[in-house]
Amino acid sequence: METQENSFEPRILAFLCNWCSYAGADLAGVSRLQYPSNIRIIRVMCSGTVSPHHVLHSFQRGADGVLIAGCHIGDCHYLKGNYMTIKRVGFVGGLMQFAGYDPQRLHLEWISAAEGIKFAEVVRAFTEKIRNLGPAPTLEAVPRLAMSA
Amino acid sequence: MNTQIKKLLDEGKVDGFLAYKIVHGYPFPHLFTKENSRDLESWKATNARYPIVKLLLGKARANPDKTYGILVRGCEERAVNELFKWNQLKKDKVLMLGQTCTGDLAEECECWKPYPTQAGYGNPAPAVSESPTLKRLESMPEAERLAWWLGNFNRCLKCFGCRDVCPMCFCNDCSLEGEKLIAPKKLPPDTSFHLVRATHMAGRCIDCGLCEKVCPANIPLRALYKEANKLVEDTFGYKPGLDDGKSPFTFLGEESMLPPGPR
Repeated sequence: METQENSFEPRILAFLCNWCSYAGADLAGVSRLQYPSNIRIIRVMCSGTVSPHHVLHSFQRGADGVLIAGCHIGDCHYLKGNYMTIKRVGFVGGLMQFAGYDPQRLHLEWISAAEGIKFAEVVRAFTEKIRNLGPAPTLEAVPRLAMSA
Repeated sequence: MNTQIKKLLDEGKVDGFLAYKIVHGYPFPHLFTKENSRDLESWKATNARYPIVKLLLGKARANPDKTYGILVRGCEERAVNELFKWNQLKKDKVLMLGQTCTGDLAEECECWKPYPTQAGYGNPAPAVSESPTLKRLESMPEAERLAWWLGNFNRCLKCFGCRDVCPMCFCNDCSLEGEKLIAPKKLPPDTSFHLVRATHMAGRCIDCGLCEKVCPANIPLRALYKEANKLVEDTFGYKPGLDDGKSPFTFLGEESMLPPGPR
């Protein structure tokens, strides 16, 4: 069996809500749980504040995968924020799929503040999935006309 | 038609009426007032489409206290209905008269309602319930679809024609011009230019097709915005252009309309 040198390290951007999933990630850290370091975390106050623009911009700037994590349904600190998240993520996932991007690269998960183990597992599984999917197709246009500043 | 419009102008119900005048054999948008109402002609079905709602917006903004009439097609009526909801036009300052689109125009536009609800001139053409373009694109395998879209987006010159002609685009600070969002000084622009525009058109685009018509690079923008609105219809249960009292501001239900403060 030939060994394949897979030097591709996925770049994953995570939007974690301050009250639940960020605290869950913090718990994972305090508990010394191991998870891949490909993930870069951005703390947001509520997963409902993650706009389709943030997701599109992330992929534009080179993210291979985007993870959005929030409070469980019914437990949102702002009552209904995560309802908006489901709909928005569904919308932007559908739009990207229509444009030809793999919708598996965008993942939504509910992680509470006590679920440190779940956070580590989710990150591990998602990183593996993106590693198998390979680098994201570039949203970068091939410049025909390079204009200097 | 000329008699009806003339009556409206003479009775003072409208200060001006935006309709069409034949110039060199082609219909062009023209603002009829009481002074030049002699130039009014009888109605004829045409396929000529203009951003007449944008002209109305310009007039309404310059003269906020005047009432204007406008001859609308199905899509233009949807635009005016939607602009009422977005507070860009006042309901009591706009009077609509309707005209239908011809059958082949409805097919070309894949329009789901090629006739306005208001009493119209002409016979309503059959509506196209499912867009064949969307069906064809959805059945393409993913990689082929991506290559297809990128190949189209590659021709974009960032002329902003799509945004400038769109009746629903009225923002003073356009996101597409935001330097942090879309990298400036780059041609063709990043794909996110089109995806961001599609995101903004979600729940707003009334499928008039002027964007695709005006694009100098013939990019099939309509399909992208049609899909965005189909997603909005499935996810949020909102279809732009209908006069059903639903507004994009009420997606959250009653909660969003309550005044701020402790409960």
